Amino acid sequence: MSLLEVDDIDAFYGQSHILRGLSLTVEEGQICALLGRNGAGKTTTLRSIAGAVPPEVRSGEVRFQGERITGRDTEDIAMEGIALVPEERRVFPNLTVEENLHMTQVSRNRSNRIGRGLEAVRETRPVEELYEAFPRLDERRNQQAGTLSGGEQQMLAIARSLRQNPGLLMLDEPYEGLAPQIIEDVEDAVRQINEEGTTVLLIEQNAAAAIKIADYCYIVDQGEIVFSDTAEALREDDEARQRYLGV
Amino acid sequence: MLPLQSTLISIIINGLQQGAIFALLGIGLTIVLGTMKFLNLAHGALYLVGAYIGMLFSVQRSLADGTLYNLGYTTVGLKATEATVFGVTVNLNFLLAMVMVPLIVFGIGMLMERFVARPFYDRPETGQLLVTFGLALVVQEIIRALFGPTTFQAYQPVQGTIAGIVSLWRITIIGISLVLIAATYLMIEKTDFGLVVRAGTEDSEMVRLLGIPITRSYSLVFALGAALAAFAGLIGASFQTVSPPIGTERALVPAFLTIVVGGAGSVVGAIAGGMVLGFVFAGFQQLAPQWSSIVLFGSVAVVILTRPEGLFGSAEVST
Repeated sequence: MSLLEVDDIDAFYGQSHILRGLSLTVEEGQICALLGRNGAGKTTTLRSIAGAVPPEVRSGEVRFQGERITGRDTEDIAMEGIALVPEERRVFPNLTVEENLHMTQVSRNRSNRIGRGLEAVRETRPVEELYEAFPRLDERRNQQAGTLSGGEQQMLAIARSLRQNPGLLMLDEPYEGLAPQIIEDVEDAVRQINEEGTTVLLIEQNAAAAIKIADYCYIVDQGEIVFSDTAEALREDDEARQRYLGV
Repeated sequence: MLPLQSTLISIIINGLQQGAIFALLGIGLTIVLGTMKFLNLAHGALYLVGAYIGMLFSVQRSLADGTLYNLGYTTVGLKATEATVFGVTVNLNFLLAMVMVPLIVFGIGMLMERFVARPFYDRPETGQLLVTFGLALVVQEIIRALFGPTTFQAYQPVQGTIAGIVSLWRITIIGISLVLIAATYLMIEKTDFGLVVRAGTEDSEMVRLLGIPITRSYSLVFALGAALAAFAGLIGASFQTVSPPIGTERALVPAFLTIVVGGAGSVVGAIAGGMVLGFVFAGFQQLAPQWSSIVLFGSVAVVILTRPEGLFGSAEVST
């Protein structure tokens, strides 16, 4: 059984049909990259998995650890262990670094759990562990997140999602707008997270950078998967890269 | 005491009292606007309901018109229970009102969130405006139908003054309001519930992506705002005549001015904005009463022109 199975989903934004029978699977322990041109349906795929609305998933289903999660509320899917670091990081700018990281802990409060039919709730990851992994955040604990640099905000967004102790970490364009050196830092962080046992599904415009750290790659084009193979195979496959990614 | 001194004291006391009412109103409106992006034009109706329920609990009033009168009720409300505490006459019923009014309107707020606001979260703002404005009119007209268009005189449950110039009741009200405002502030700043509310004003989807069912907090936020507005109505009614239009004229409009000055979505802004407006209003009421409303609106226009995000707001919403 794969950790995540996206099975033949059709997703819509209003009237526009964005995902057309898209299927993919992510195996436990992998770093999986979903590549494709702007508007191909990458973000829509991640949002469909996370249960964010829009899009509206009209058919097909998503299974996580063998269980159907399609149609459940975003917050419940998050509690099941799927974390999404959305595009543009979306840290809470007026909250401090510490408060941003504390938000995940709040989701475990009794008052937020009762009546939701959640089974065994995943323990959060201790915040001190995260400060150790991201010392820059440690230094800026009491600073408002909005005052951090782009790279630091990306680290905070990732750390905040790691706090959920997710089984699957989804990253939407983690390198966007970052300087090359910072991209390397983020890469290292993602590798390390993966080595510690978290499965990663990442989407990137910057295909070359993504292929570099991925084990397995999918290419989505006009809402359909048009390529799926190991990262190595994609590196070799000049034609597929040219045709769908323009690199 | 010199006339200048007593004038100054009056302005300070009246400013604090008026500012506290504006702040209580503004906090409720601003947190609902901030977290739910919901513009509640029925906010003033909650003040109105608070004023009337408070009156019914605290003092007996005679009716001259309206459905209740036609049904044979010539008086409404509980009889005042007066007691003398340290030589001051106090209506103990008002204590009951101070507990019951926020509780009842808290419940009303929950119902309102569930049945009026919730269906409109995802609809265009014009829908929210129409439904809440409609609701405000319905509430106002129900009250007019029940009690008639009669205006009831302001009623103060505590008599007496300090040194002959400062009303004891005003001092009491200022104290209670400030405690209430401080408690709300601490709840928003220091508790996990407040953290979710603050995060929600910035990015409610992200809050949900972290596993927090923020829509649950919505009803609590709404009800809290409603209870604060009702409390403002309860105490506001002790300084002004009570009649159906006060919900809009004395509550909704000032509440909007408050959050315009303070910055939308900001609790600190609502407190500060309320106080600024309260002092402006009280100052002019003392010095040139006929100009007080004009200056109030004028100063808000100046703020909006020069700092559209409000005096205390940043470009983004926050506490």
